[in-house]
Amino acid sequence: MISVTVLARIVVASVCAACLAGAADAQEAPAPQSQVTVGYLSIEGDPRHQPIRASERLILRPREHPFVGAQVAIEEAQALSRVLRIDFALERIAVKSADMLASALMQAHETRGIRFFVVDAPAEAFRALAGAVQGRDVLLFNATAPDDWLRRELCVREIVHTLPSLAMTMDGLVQHLVSRKWRDILVLEGPAAADAAMVRAFEGSVKKFGARIVGKREFKPGTDPREREKNNPLLLTALNRDYDVIFVADDAFDFARQVPYRTIRARPVVGAIDLEPVAWHWTWERHGGPQLNSRFQRAAGGRRMESLDWAAWIAVKMVVQAALRTGSADFKAQRAFILGGNGFDGYKGLAVSVRPWDQQLRQAVFLATPNAVVASVPVEGFLHRVSTLDTLGDDEQETPCKLHR
Amino acid sequence: MGFVRQALSLILVATLATFLAPTQAVAKTGLIFVSNEKSDNILVLDPKTYKVVKEIKTSRRPRDMHFSADRSRLYVACGDADVIDIIDVAKLEVIGRLATGPSPETFAIDDARRRIYVASEESATVSVIDIDRNKIVQAIKTGEEPEGVHLSEDGKTLYVTSEVGNLVHRIDTEAGRAVQDVVVGTRPRRFAATPDRKELWVTAELSGEITIIDRAKFAVSGTIAFLPPGMRKSDVTPVGLTFTRDGKTAFVALGHAAHVAVVDVPSRKVEFYILVGKRSWGVTLARDDRTLFVANGLGDDITVIDVRSRKATVSIPVGRVPWGVVIDD
Repeated sequence: MISVTVLARIVVASVCAACLAGAADAQEAPAPQSQVTVGYLSIEGDPRHQPIRASERLILRPREHPFVGAQVAIEEAQALSRVLRIDFALERIAVKSADMLASALMQAHETRGIRFFVVDAPAEAFRALAGAVQGRDVLLFNATAPDDWLRRELCVREIVHTLPSLAMTMDGLVQHLVSRKWRDILVLEGPAAADAAMVRAFEGSVKKFGARIVGKREFKPGTDPREREKNNPLLLTALNRDYDVIFVADDAFDFARQVPYRTIRARPVVGAIDLEPVAWHWTWERHGGPQLNSRFQRAAGGRRMESLDWAAWIAVKMVVQAALRTGSADFKAQRAFILGGNGFDGYKGLAVSVRPWDQQLRQAVFLATPNAVVASVPVEGFLHRVSTLDTLGDDEQETPCKLHR
Repeated sequence: MGFVRQALSLILVATLATFLAPTQAVAKTGLIFVSNEKSDNILVLDPKTYKVVKEIKTSRRPRDMHFSADRSRLYVACGDADVIDIIDVAKLEVIGRLATGPSPETFAIDDARRRIYVASEESATVSVIDIDRNKIVQAIKTGEEPEGVHLSEDGKTLYVTSEVGNLVHRIDTEAGRAVQDVVVGTRPRRFAATPDRKELWVTAELSGEITIIDRAKFAVSGTIAFLPPGMRKSDVTPVGLTFTRDGKTAFVALGHAAHVAVVDVPSRKVEFYILVGKRSWGVTLARDDRTLFVANGLGDDITVIDVRSRKATVSIPVGRVPWGVVIDD
């Protein structure tokens, strides 16, 4: 027996009937409401969502599940419920371990007719999921795994990636560095596999936009004096030549936070800290950002909206918009709309849309310090024959994934 | 004798001055008012020289502005202070405040019923304010992020956009609730009604178009798309719009595309694009329809356009993030 916990089920219809009370009596006898349910699939105790702590009580990053992002989008659908005669619902499905994801998903699909799923799981979990859903009429939204291989090698028709890929975020960062003429870069790489993946993506971006890596060093967090060459930022940044910027890849974050101002040269730090490429930021002031941030903070008990929350939010929003624009609760029509290159309002300026080749959501990326969005990329002047957004990440001819052919 | 005559004429001038002062506001000053979201002020400009006559400090984040019917008062929605400031047009100072819902942006005044309808972007409601009692008498539920409001000439119907819902609600003001919705373009922002009262034009910021609503049927009767030369569809983000008094021409500010579109209303064809400043949103025509003022939100300036030649004649530096322009003419 699969252990599945249905933690929350939010049905919008009842709420909306109250909020827009009396609307129905002005119209004719209502047609029956259809239902569109989005499943939210996650793993209990997922280590990616454990808070990063400096010590027991000092939490540096809360890293919560982005479920509230999906919730906010469902609540936004309230007003549409009446016009479309569709009730939108969100069902949270939490499993005990990654290997249970596929069976839980299939059970929700087969017994409860759910066809859209926001998947909050690490990249490795997608292999089994991809096998299980192949050829089925379901659509999965990857809202939390930035790994490039999911878009390039795994390359599955049933998955849309709403979180920007590593290649996209690194391209955005390097565009900004190059536009500032900060071309010479020192790379500090952490011991985690995620750090290696980030550096690989960064190197790709450096090559693409004509920057230069003038030194690359692996660090090892610790205080062992015998390993000071690897754990002391002063020594790690001492190089026989000058550089413009220090790039740090550190998924664990604890080392990265001790790099700025501890370097031998007065150089800015980018990557894991200080100037981070993100999908969303709590200080974004344009394109409706303050309204979305405030809706999210109200729903999340004060927590600030982050990249994963945005990716879960836009996934649900795309489903709702597909229903609105096709005027139907029919899955195939909605899927065709979502995958058909149509634009969605992502609150980041240029409309976001799905790339036909790898089903990555093309979107702007923010380069943010803790208190400000320094730039929204693509940087003006980085041109593309179709969409400037495609200067970020894998363009059609750059990826082995050709889902549109 | 000379002294007496001089004194007399002085008295006369003084009497005349006190006589003229209250009527001057009614007689229209011609002054131009610019609300600046991030300077928390309204700059008052001379209509001929465009020099700043006065800076009026307002509550935080002034945005939409409307005159009372007799033009003695100017109301200003202040988004971060949750109030509408009341400005005395003769004195050019804030003389009072009306409390609104959270984050007021645009509003409409019903002078006859002494009411203000204001969209509260953050609470998904339209607040109905009793002007004389300074009280919110009702909050009408809308879709998320209501923005544009338009009140019918008889005050019985209020139209409101929901930016998130991609809807326009038709609200019965007597019943105090939405009675019908119509689906429009993506991220609908603002309205303008054609002077013949038959159509309502709605800008859809993200789909880069105008949706035209037939008011009698309350149904979409057409769309107008924009594409200035050399621009991409995604750059076009229309927000503000206005009609000439004869209803023949519309001007639409295209936001990110930094142009104002000139539309021939009967044929619904775009005739011309005029280059303006960065993120142009607010557009206002002078009463004689000869001059158009465009607020460039990210240029911190106003572009002045000569309507006949369709040319930008001057740009006036104002405060930070100018939202809109109204003219006492």
